[in-house]
Amino acid sequence: MWLWFSKLGSPKWFYELSGKWLPWLVGAMIISMTVAVVWALLYLPPDYQQGYTSRILVVHVAVAGTSLAFFPLMAVAGTITLVWKMKLADMVAKNAAALGAWFSFITLATGSLWGSVMWGTWWEWTDARLVSMLFQFFLLLGVVSLRSALEDPDKAAKACALLSIVGCINVVIIKYSVEWWNVLHQPSSPLSVNSDSPNGPEFWIATIIMVLAVYLFLSISLILATRNEILQRERRAQWVQELVRNS
Amino acid sequence: MFWTLVKLMSTDMSRSSTSVAFRSTLKRDLLIAFKKKNDIANPFMFFIIVVSLFPIAITPDGDRLAEIAAGVVWISVLLASMLSMDNLYRSDYEDGSLEQLLLSPHPLFFMVLSKNISHWLVSGLPVVVAAPLLAYMLSLPQEAYLTLIASLLIGTPILSLIGSIAVALTVGLGSRGLILAVITLPMSVPVLIFGTLAVEASVGVGSPAGYLALMLAMLAASLSLAPLASAAALRISIS
Repeated sequence: MWLWFSKLGSPKWFYELSGKWLPWLVGAMIISMTVAVVWALLYLPPDYQQGYTSRILVVHVAVAGTSLAFFPLMAVAGTITLVWKMKLADMVAKNAAALGAWFSFITLATGSLWGSVMWGTWWEWTDARLVSMLFQFFLLLGVVSLRSALEDPDKAAKACALLSIVGCINVVIIKYSVEWWNVLHQPSSPLSVNSDSPNGPEFWIATIIMVLAVYLFLSISLILATRNEILQRERRAQWVQELVRNS
Repeated sequence: MFWTLVKLMSTDMSRSSTSVAFRSTLKRDLLIAFKKKNDIANPFMFFIIVVSLFPIAITPDGDRLAEIAAGVVWISVLLASMLSMDNLYRSDYEDGSLEQLLLSPHPLFFMVLSKNISHWLVSGLPVVVAAPLLAYMLSLPQEAYLTLIASLLIGTPILSLIGSIAVALTVGLGSRGLILAVITLPMSVPVLIFGTLAVEASVGVGSPAGYLALMLAMLAASLSLAPLASAAALRISIS
């Protein structure tokens, strides 16, 4: 197990392995994304309360669920960077921060598109999930801007790793305090009906396929970005130069 | 409180010398702060000016001001504490005494804690003392004064402790005012939520005790965890 672990830290090994995985991942992503998008946006029957607007939710739920994975991912990668000083973990963490910010932004955007129809408002402070997602977005932007502010890559790696761990704890605290804020502030939240509305099984299957597609998309983007990062950082290594010469 | 904490732990010689180092760092920082009075006065003036901008920008009407008074005071405290954070490690970083602190045999946890405490005494405490006056100017109902002071007394050390992490991460940067804000402000949201909720609860029906207890829990957590993160951040920045 430890051999596998130390192998994983080698950028060259990851580059070769991810190169083999990529075609399969891309294929699976294209199939599941096509199925989910076509099904969800064209064929899903209208919800009896929400009408056709419920189709937005398929995209929204999938992206929102995925965007919650970023801080744990970055915290784990950060711990690996700080403890084992693994270069690869930092390369993943670096790209995860920017991707996570994008995913949070898309979550907010699709959420308010849906909300503009269903709630009649683009933004609603009384909904805890909206507010905590907004602050997760801000925290991720903080990690990104810390990374770009520090010039020394080694220092930036460790600093961002620490900030990711602190941020991961903080996101949880913010989430619960925003929830309590709403619960205690305004006991009756008419907005919470949306997650429990009786939807048919098609809706959930479409959502699950969409979640799968979005996770695959996330992995592919992360792998591609990490591969670029590897090539750039290891540009003096012999195997990279051979790779470039042969291509 | 910390004195007793340190004294409790000072069972052998090395520990007791840590408590001496803790005290002398605290004394030194306070001395420096009182020699450079600008560093104390400016955040304080900033706080008062920001608070007095709100009635001008929003409304001079006392009833409407009373509704937002708690939020205005808390946001101004947050901004003032963030601005004053900039001085926390910078001068020590520039003259090299921060490196000496890192090289010293004492646990960096206590050294960071002592620096945070002195920072709070210099920048947080004056704000807490001035808060009732400003709350009066914003026509906050009188029954909320005690809660406002209590919530600020608990909340401002948390702000110092959290801000210290971000300052330690960016200590080597030339211009970092904005990045400090981007990192610390989102992290201060829980303090802001419970601080203002406590004050609001003491005005209307309900009791602020629960919110203050939650803030105390956050203070306990950040007292024990934030200096660890700050110390790690300092070691990263100065390496």
